[in-house]
Amino acid sequence: MKLTASPRRLARQVLAGEIWPALADRHAYRVDPDGRPFVLPGMGAVTLGVHCGDPATGHASDHLEPGASIRNRDSGANMALQYLTCVGNRVQVAAGPAAGASGHVIGQHAYVLADFPEPVLAQLAPGDPVTVFAVGQGLALADHPQIVVKNCDPDLLAALPGGTAADGRLEVHVAARVPAEAIGAGAGMVSEYANTDLMGAYLGLSPDLSLGLEGLRIGDLVCLQDSDHRYGRGYRNGYLTIGVISTGQCMVFGHGPGPSTLMSGPADAFRIIDDADANLATWLHPWPGEQ
Amino acid sequence: MTTVNLLGIAEHARLGESPYRVDRDGAPYVPAGDGGIVLDFQLGDSVFSLHADHAAPGACLVHPDPAARHALTTFACIGNPAQVRTGPAAGAQGVVLGKRGEEGRVVVALQSEQLALLRPGDELLVRSSGQGWRPPRLDSEIAVGNIDPATFAALPADLANGGAAAIAVRAAVPSKLAGNGIGRPAVSWDLDLQLTEPPDGGQLLLGDLVAVTDLDARYNMGYRRGFVTIGIVVHGASPLPGHGPGITPILSGPSSVITADVTSEGRAGLTLEALQLQ
Repeated sequence: MKLTASPRRLARQVLAGEIWPALADRHAYRVDPDGRPFVLPGMGAVTLGVHCGDPATGHASDHLEPGASIRNRDSGANMALQYLTCVGNRVQVAAGPAAGASGHVIGQHAYVLADFPEPVLAQLAPGDPVTVFAVGQGLALADHPQIVVKNCDPDLLAALPGGTAADGRLEVHVAARVPAEAIGAGAGMVSEYANTDLMGAYLGLSPDLSLGLEGLRIGDLVCLQDSDHRYGRGYRNGYLTIGVISTGQCMVFGHGPGPSTLMSGPADAFRIIDDADANLATWLHPWPGEQ
Repeated sequence: MTTVNLLGIAEHARLGESPYRVDRDGAPYVPAGDGGIVLDFQLGDSVFSLHADHAAPGACLVHPDPAARHALTTFACIGNPAQVRTGPAAGAQGVVLGKRGEEGRVVVALQSEQLALLRPGDELLVRSSGQGWRPPRLDSEIAVGNIDPATFAALPADLANGGAAAIAVRAAVPSKLAGNGIGRPAVSWDLDLQLTEPPDGGQLLLGDLVAVTDLDARYNMGYRRGFVTIGIVVHGASPLPGHGPGITPILSGPSSVITADVTSEGRAGLTLEALQLQ
């Protein structure tokens, strides 16, 4: 992203987490939009075979979390990990068979979500410790004071296409535009943690549920219309939020593929460019050490 | 229908180490009125009349065990009797007005003199009944929940038309204004409406019936084109983004069998008079 003024210097902090197990309770079932019970994997542990650029929907899954799902055992340390970790931050496996391997953060959910090359993921297990090199919170754009940036690694920001346009607005490329009707669970929560589930992406279910979002991919940059995420997550006419799809298929009603927040501000402070390549895979791949 | 005596404890307001929350414009504020016992705020008052955060008209009931608290919240229905068992207000009869989500709270109204005697920690017995009940002749596509049958009978709902429901409401709100509560089970959560002023220049009062269009609240609450959900306004406005006055859902189904009438004169929802709390 081409900016005329450099973002201010940011603190870089070393944080610790571990891969968290998948969790269930003894009642097992949840309920889909039509009232049917289901049991499906997706949250927690290490989810194989889904990476940035792959379809977010169409999986037999609920709250699909690609790659490794990471928390810290201490509640206060965990909130620091969740709030301070940013999309694009480097993650390193600290012990176990994959020790030393690097991946990157693709977003937040109830966990920090880290994607690794498939051969690394295949070696990871719940309990493996990881180190997150957290940087990005506090990032501000001097030439765009109305836009709040959050959860965004400065190297990712630099790699994004667009930037300050001739008319002074911030040009941002997105793969999809999302109507306000799609905003599901996550409304009303803080925007430095977890993500905003998008309804209307229930591939294969009835047409009256659809908002045309079945084609979303993991890693897509999306534009949430009439959403203000500067100080939380709420509806505001004439505001926009830019996010990155970090979780996929849901079957729990009112939930769906979820963007982690990257930027938010008045719509007229942005110039939105529709770009099918606006996906984390474009800027974060190839993997470290791969070409 | 099954009736279960549940124990609710009058909640003490709770805050974290910081007194501040951040409002939708980025300003810090102190969230007075969020939970606990709130005086001088009752059915028929505007949801915008207090400078408060999610203030509910009366006492919020909780339980120290999280699972018991979820059961209390899920099984209590609007109109259920709630009697104070301990403290200076012992014996006072209240009525369940609705519920709030997340950890779960049941909102109970008492006559104002008796509410003023209530102290956080006092016990109330909630005589819960209503979940699982359906009005006779109600269209099978309509889900009903969170309401005591006797209270349902007192609402301005007409089931005469072959099981379809026609109900007089204060306002109809589009689903894009549904905030916190979306994606959560309608039997255990309220749904915040992201309103900072009354819809359509009218008014919005505690106890009002409100319709939300394109919202399916038969199980979890979520977007479905052509559905409508009817709820009762149970708490006041909030400065938080994504929050606002909250409704407890009572009816949900296709708009072909639920008619929300915003023009009728007889659109009073839950009132102190109907609940005999005046």
